[in-house]
Amino acid sequence: MHILVVGASHRSCPIEVRERLAFQAEQLPAAYAALRHELGFPEALILSTCNRVEIYAGVPDVNGTGDRIASFLSAHSRLPAGELAPQLYTHQEPSSVQHLFAVASGLDSMVLGESEILHQVKRAYELARMHGTTGKALNTLFQKALNTGKAVRARTTLGHGSISVGTVALELAQKIFGDLRPYTVLLVGAGKVGELTIKRLTERGVSRVQILNRSPERAALLAAQHGAQAFGMDELTARLVDADIVITSTSAPQALMSRADLDAIMPLRRHRPLCIVDLGVPRNVDPEAGQLENVYLFDVDDLQGLAAHHQAQRRQAVSESQRIIEQKIEHFLAWWHQEYQACAPSSSALAAAP
Amino acid sequence: MIVIHMLCSLLSYAAFLAAFVSGILFLIQEWQLKHKHMGWFFHRLPALGTLDRINLASIGAGFGLLSLGLFFGMLGSRLLWGAWWRWDPKELLTLALWASYLGLWIVRLRSTLRGRKVALLSILGFLLVLLTCVGVSRWLPTWHPVL
Repeated sequence: MHILVVGASHRSCPIEVRERLAFQAEQLPAAYAALRHELGFPEALILSTCNRVEIYAGVPDVNGTGDRIASFLSAHSRLPAGELAPQLYTHQEPSSVQHLFAVASGLDSMVLGESEILHQVKRAYELARMHGTTGKALNTLFQKALNTGKAVRARTTLGHGSISVGTVALELAQKIFGDLRPYTVLLVGAGKVGELTIKRLTERGVSRVQILNRSPERAALLAAQHGAQAFGMDELTARLVDADIVITSTSAPQALMSRADLDAIMPLRRHRPLCIVDLGVPRNVDPEAGQLENVYLFDVDDLQGLAAHHQAQRRQAVSESQRIIEQKIEHFLAWWHQEYQACAPSSSALAAAP
Repeated sequence: MIVIHMLCSLLSYAAFLAAFVSGILFLIQEWQLKHKHMGWFFHRLPALGTLDRINLASIGAGFGLLSLGLFFGMLGSRLLWGAWWRWDPKELLTLALWASYLGLWIVRLRSTLRGRKVALLSILGFLLVLLTCVGVSRWLPTWHPVL
């Protein structure tokens, strides 16, 4: 038995090709049937995400398997085989095993260490099992790969901390409040940054968004687009009493909120925690206000600093992750050799017997 | 009667321990947020809001249980020795403890204080719990057995 993987990822081809290669959920039953019956693979698995499309095959004989998968992918994507071939990679064990373990751990992802890939691998494995195309080899391989991905996440800092300013801000807010959905978000300044922020927040299920802008028309326009409420700048104090998360992004030359302003507002809020993300340059909120109790203030530099720090941390965690992966690969290959290679002579002896 | 008294008192100490632990975790997490440090604890500890809710619920539950413990203790004392109150050092300290947590609970419910101060007070409160439940029997003459 051999494990072969043929595929294309963000490293080997552009998005235009990956789009054509991708398998939609409704195409999977036919694809699995073809792999099983037309190509005659005893075991097969399709991993299709926005960054990669890979086919894993467990076959008794590797000869020609790679080519057959490549022509299967070429037929599926309707890309000429000659054009597709240079963009595909093929690995046979042990490197197919190394590849999958690195993929599941997020080491091969576009955003190093992202965690979504682990769910995607798990989902792909569940689907293949549902279609009955996994056996002992791929079952063990994928269970070990998922286990490795989890171990890397648990034991290293590879997946820790967001690496973009926007998600760092959201992560901080989530560590203050927990689930953000029941909380009120106040956006001060209805510019481009504000609009992007609203999109991200509504994606996370935040429904109470209020927008404050110097020109109320612009606030009203943005509010109408995103189901938010609009207010004029004169309502700042009243809105601050209501809001839990404040995101400021105005180009005002002077701070909109001083420490004294917020000090006066906190008792009116009954000291509920207030998270302020100040994206304005120059800053919209007096930095001293961050020292007030129950006020958590973050400015652009804080967010950028954290994002850069996380990026560096992830890079550092790579070698540590690789050590864990190597260990796991060693375990898997030991099992593999025992299971298949030890059997090989006996099966050939059996074949020779009659 | 005495069994209920002991059970309620012990459970109230456990609840105050939960408030103590959530208070400490709150302080750690708050320090991380205030210092913009997303370190090991940041990722592993729950959100401040969650810790605050655990703290409030533990103080409330602990106070309720301690009140029951006190009541059954007094009832037991009346039945066994004919006196509701015997000015035992442990009784006095428990009364102080009861009053402290009542104060803390009211302050937190009314939101006069929140966050770090409540976390600090629940840590101090637990020191009083330790004094009441272990210290008294060691250092002061008392009618109460070990705990």
